[in-house]
Amino acid sequence: MLLEITVIAVRGIAIGSIFAMIAMSFNIVHGATGILNFAQGNMLVLGGFAAFFLANQVELGWWLLMLPVAGLLVAALVALQGWVTLLPLRSSVEQDSWIISTVSVSVILGAAVLITQGPFAYTVESVVPSFRILGVRTPGAYALAIGCMIFWYIAMRLFLKKTFIGLAISALSQDFDAARAAGLPVRRLQIIAFAISGLMVGTAGFLVAPVISISSDAGLRYILNGFVAAVVGGIGSNLGTLIGGPLVGVVGMLTAYKIGGAYQDLASLLLLIAILMLRPQGLFGRSSARRV
Amino acid sequence: MMAISETADVGSRNMDEKAKPRFSSDLPQVWIGMAFIAVTGFVPSLLGNSYWVHTFQLVNIYIAAAIFQNFLFVDAGQKSFGQGVILGLGAYVTAIFFGLHDYPFVMAAGLGLGAAALGGLLFALPALRVQYFHLGFVTLSAAIVFPQLLMSLDRWTNGINGISVQMEALHHETLFGLTPLTIIVALYPMLALWVHYFIRRSQLGRQMRVAAVSPEGARSLGIKPGYMRFTAFVIAAIGTGICGVLYLPTVSFVSPQGFNVELSFVFFFAVVVGGRGQMLGPIIGIWIVFILPNIALAQFVEYRLLIYGFLTLLTVILFPDGVVGSIERWRSKRGVTGRGEQAFRVDSFLDRLKGGKPVEPTDEIVVEVRGGTKKFGEVVAVDNADLKVRKGEIHGLIGANGSGKTSLLNVLSGLSRLNSGSFVINGREATRMAADRIANMGIGRTFQTPRIYPQFSLWDNLKVGIDARTGEPNDDIVRLAEALEKEFREDSAALLSHGQRRLVEVMRTVLKEASIILFDEPAAGLSQSERANFSKLVRFLSRQLGKTIILVEHDLDLVWGIADTITVMEQGRIVASGTPDTVAKDPAVQHMFVGGRRA
Repeated sequence: MLLEITVIAVRGIAIGSIFAMIAMSFNIVHGATGILNFAQGNMLVLGGFAAFFLANQVELGWWLLMLPVAGLLVAALVALQGWVTLLPLRSSVEQDSWIISTVSVSVILGAAVLITQGPFAYTVESVVPSFRILGVRTPGAYALAIGCMIFWYIAMRLFLKKTFIGLAISALSQDFDAARAAGLPVRRLQIIAFAISGLMVGTAGFLVAPVISISSDAGLRYILNGFVAAVVGGIGSNLGTLIGGPLVGVVGMLTAYKIGGAYQDLASLLLLIAILMLRPQGLFGRSSARRV
Repeated sequence: MMAISETADVGSRNMDEKAKPRFSSDLPQVWIGMAFIAVTGFVPSLLGNSYWVHTFQLVNIYIAAAIFQNFLFVDAGQKSFGQGVILGLGAYVTAIFFGLHDYPFVMAAGLGLGAAALGGLLFALPALRVQYFHLGFVTLSAAIVFPQLLMSLDRWTNGINGISVQMEALHHETLFGLTPLTIIVALYPMLALWVHYFIRRSQLGRQMRVAAVSPEGARSLGIKPGYMRFTAFVIAAIGTGICGVLYLPTVSFVSPQGFNVELSFVFFFAVVVGGRGQMLGPIIGIWIVFILPNIALAQFVEYRLLIYGFLTLLTVILFPDGVVGSIERWRSKRGVTGRGEQAFRVDSFLDRLKGGKPVEPTDEIVVEVRGGTKKFGEVVAVDNADLKVRKGEIHGLIGANGSGKTSLLNVLSGLSRLNSGSFVINGREATRMAADRIANMGIGRTFQTPRIYPQFSLWDNLKVGIDARTGEPNDDIVRLAEALEKEFREDSAALLSHGQRRLVEVMRTVLKEASIILFDEPAAGLSQSERANFSKLVRFLSRQLGKTIILVEHDLDLVWGIADTITVMEQGRIVASGTPDTVAKDPAVQHMFVGGRRA
């Protein structure tokens, strides 16, 4: 009994940390642009992809070296995606073409993975050894996931509060027109926000590669769960993702153990509908999801 | 001689009508669409090519599903990535009852349709509360979860093996080699086109489109945006559910792989590539998105998703209106000629409304705010304000930027709620009323940026005012509406100047027969002569039509020129209120006129 609770809690929180990082990467882009990147889950998978090609079965030193490389590669790709996504928004009256373009990028990435590897998931060997919590063998990558989440939470907090670029991005999320009027290079800041979100999910994907499924259809499932984590915590609140992510992870694990693994995504969907109906602004949300 | 001149007259009138090209090409597009569907649906049978017969049966079903996606996407503004789920529910539930449990097909189809409608409700319920990208994620999640459920609920669905059905009767060739099925699946998308067309032309359709682009504007016209989204999802679900029922006899087999996320993406991407909002869009879109990769590139099946994705991305970036939309844009650009100042004038129309003798304001109080306080976080926007507005008067509300005028206006129109205090409209307690209910009590308002809907003709922009009316129209308004319709039915509203847009909004409230009109900085951005005309118009509304006017305005000359009562706000508080003369002399407001008007 205790064993089962430990397994559910540890795995749930660890997997939930991945969702939390996707949610945080949503937040920075959403704050700066109003865009929610539907391709963010595929970007995480690409981080895992990078781990498979750059750092599978390697020594610790090389692995540590490749971590920032993977992060920067994904960051560059997301920055490019951001630039493309923002192109039609420059002049168009219609401001929601981003939903279409980010969804299509998500589909393109999923298809590209399918073509290069076929429908089967890659497996990456863990560099960090597994360890025991209360007698339960736990893959090292789970600890990395939780550590990575905490690292990015603190890093984002410092970045947004202490650096000039971070403050400027915060200003964008407060009042877009005022920031533009104040002479901030809005477009460049938005691309930087995209790049940072890429760095976040790229490194996360690299670190947790041994425990995630690196396959063509995984991206959509991460996007779903990451979004639920963001909504539960309140879109825009990084603190909220620290609660929302693990909560979604634990609910998923609980479902997997009690009902069956096939119902995890259903549980997330029901959680999403419930929170949208009962508390659309989430636990810590400042901007309401509910528009008149 | 007489006869000749008469003919000439008729001739010139015809010329006039010809000079105005059609504003909306919806109707011709529906007819062209029907022709396209008929050709692709029937010709393969006549030629006896069974491969194309089957392919176009499926294509026609997908076209119908994409038509409902188009309706949901553009008319209701809802981005659903889950229409494949709705189709799948219709197909699967029908298959379960018909194929596994031997129910009669009609009964099984009814159950399938019911299941699809229930699926639509699942999307529609959150739509009552939230919108925007949230619903995109809800529907996308459903599309991810649906095939998983089909697999794991194998006790009922037969799991990965799927369900096969035989429906020989529908596949019997009759006249010209056409089977009943071929005829049904060709007629259904045609019917779907007409359904879309008639909804769009109806009051419901107009209100849906207003709610989709401007929720606040919609609520100020008495429309409930959540209800509109809900209705749209349910309509789309029923239409798409029928596609699911038709899918079963066409493919004779259902399996979880047939209803994965890809199917939902096909419908969504088809609408984007074909042309969002265009009647022909879904047809051309399905041809490009579905047929091209499946047939022309049959050897590269695994590249299908990649092609969908790239086609859509390129469309959004290079020609966001899609194939049909780009053609339509070229057509309407060619036809549009700006009419400058002549584009929208209302004086001659309003002259018809002139009653007998002018109406004077009475002492009856129609709007009363008692101790109203509105806070945004720490900021007190409206601070314990008391306000009384008499019936039929022009009540000017002035004050510096940030003094709380617009906040008060938003409270009165129900767009935001008081933290404490209360207000009464027409003798009814309205403090906690929703904006649409307040609008239905006879309040009309204009916005700082006029709410003009460029996808509507100029007349339809006015007509949403008539749609918002609660009671029977009075005869004068009916005649006015007829005259306006005749003049502006085929005009575009996109090229109107700012001043003309303001006039459209005012005329909308006139057609709505609002008894109380709230103006939010109406003169901002108007030229000197437009301001003079606007003053006359407001005066006319009050004195000839007996409307009560609340006017938030910075142009003090304008306010002093027409207002019966003036209320001055400063930092959320009301510091003075009275006739223009007494307020002008009030020491509390003297500083407002420094360097300004009469000291």
